[in-house]
Order: sequence, then C-alpha cells, then structure tokens
Amino acid sequence: MHEMSLAHEVCRIAEAHLPPGPTRVLSLGVEVGDDVGIEVANFRFCLEALLSEPPFTGAALDLTIQPGTDLRLVYVEVDDGRPSH
Amino acid sequence: MGVRVIEVRERVMARNDELAAGVRARLDAAGVVALNLVSSPGSGKTLLLERTLEALGDELSIAVVTGDIQTQNDADRLARHTDRLVQAVVTGGACHLDASQIANALDAIDLERTRLLFIENVGNLVCPASWDLGEAAKVTVFSVTEGEDKPLKYPKTFRVSSQVVINKIDLLPHVDFDLELAKANAASINPALRFFTTSARTGEGLEGWLDFLRELVAASEVAA
Repeated sequence: MHEMSLAHEVCRIAEAHLPPGPTRVLSLGVEVGDDVGIEVANFRFCLEALLSEPPFTGAALDLTIQPGTDLRLVYVEVDDGRPSH
Repeated sequence: MGVRVIEVRERVMARNDELAAGVRARLDAAGVVALNLVSSPGSGKTLLLERTLEALGDELSIAVVTGDIQTQNDADRLARHTDRLVQAVVTGGACHLDASQIANALDAIDLERTRLLFIENVGNLVCPASWDLGEAAKVTVFSVTEGEDKPLKYPKTFRVSSQVVINKIDLLPHVDFDLELAKANAASINPALRFFTTSARTGEGLEGWLDFLRELVAASEVAA
C-alpha cells in the first residue's frame, strides 16, 4: 500500500543525482528485493506514472527483481547534450 | 548526444533508516525503551494499551505516540489514561508510520520523564513491517478472531517482531482458533518470538505482559 511513497522516493533520489543544466532522463534502473514487502506490479504502475512527468518525461523503467530485502535505485541514464568521451 | 549512466545504488529506505537511527540515538541517550505495536485493525491494540497505561502508566513513566488514520478515536480513548500522549501527523491514506513522524513526535515528549514509549502503529500487517521507527522492538498483536494462519499470511511482520501478543483469549470458546497451532505457525517464521496470551477485555494473561514490560525497562536501565 506504500508503493506510491516508495516510487516518489525513487524519483527524489534520481532527481538529486541529475547533472545540472538541461538533461533528458532516458532510463532508471531499479532493483526490487523479493522480500521488500511490496506489490511489484503496483510499484511499477506508480513509478511509470511518475516517469511520465518532468523531469523524467519519457524515461524507461528497467526494473529487476533480486533476492533480498533491499529496494535500490541502481542507476540513472541521462542525455545531457554534451559530447560523450 | 551526451548519454551517460550515473551509478546511484542508493537504498530507497536509506532516508527513513537514517531518521530512525537518529530517533534511536535520542531514545538511547534519554534511557527510553520504545516498542512499536503492529497489528491488523481490530486486534485490540488500543484496549491493550489502555490496560497497560492503567497498570503501569505511572510506574514506568509511559508515553504514547498514536497513528490513527481517520479519526481521533484512539487518541481520545488513550487520553483518558495518560496526559503523555502525542498524535502522529498521519494523512488520510497512510498505511504505516515512518521515522520522520516519530522524530517530530519526540519533540513533543519530555523524554527525560519517560522510561517506556509505545508507538501505536497504523492497523495493518503489511506495511509497518518495512519501516524502522527507531524502536527497540516491534510487538505484533493479533487476536483469536483472526485465524491461526495469520503468521503464514503476513510472514514479514512476524519475522521483524520480537514479541507476539495473542489477544482476545476470552473468545477462545466461541471461535475455531487453535492457539498452539497459531504459536507454531509464528515460531516457524521466527523461532525467537516470545509469546503472550491476553484478554485485554477481562484482564486474563495481562500480568505476564506487564511483568515483561517491567523487566524490559529494568534491563535497559541496568545496561545504561
């Protein structure tokens, strides 16, 4: 039942890691432990709803399920418009 | 194109856990033992707390944080037994208390005058299990009207609890509830669980629970 608050927290952490300046978020990698105590389909629904809004608009969700009790934001893939090395 | 992958690897519960660690440190510094009462709605948590406050409210300097979602009912009932009650700020849809609410509630409690703090969580056997509130232990309350398979249906709650209070035992003659099977089911999830069987309504079995609370507070004072 707290899937939405966890989805919000994922977005808060992701936003804190975005580089300054105009940035397009391409995808978010999230790992869900199988003993986290959430409904994964519901969590995915909440997160995808939030990813339809700025600053994430259009970002894909890469959600993997792992053994364990941790829920982690693993990575944020961005396009910041600067040339890559 | 400047596509890059920013490694984060941050636990989503990290902020709650940091706040919970802060709560725990404040409680430890003040010598306060905190118990987080978790149950489904209607297990008799509030009546158990009322009886506990009647018996030990002064003796153990008990304070209470309560998290009723939609009404003042629990707070009003508890307020008859104590003036040391803080209502956590809970919005209409909340399914659990989190550590930030407890951190705020502690500001309204005279911790130096408190030895035992009860946190009455939102009635729910799923979500509260995932949130550390800085408590010394979680105590699950469940009642004989709920079925002895409750521990198997909600294993996480029983796994993270240290004690289980099986309440409403005055109703045992009227319901198909196998007390020993209920305990065995809970113990299969968490062998370290300590059990109390009570009727908060009639007072049966309450002495064991009250003695446990006395011992818990005394042990924490020896440790300090």
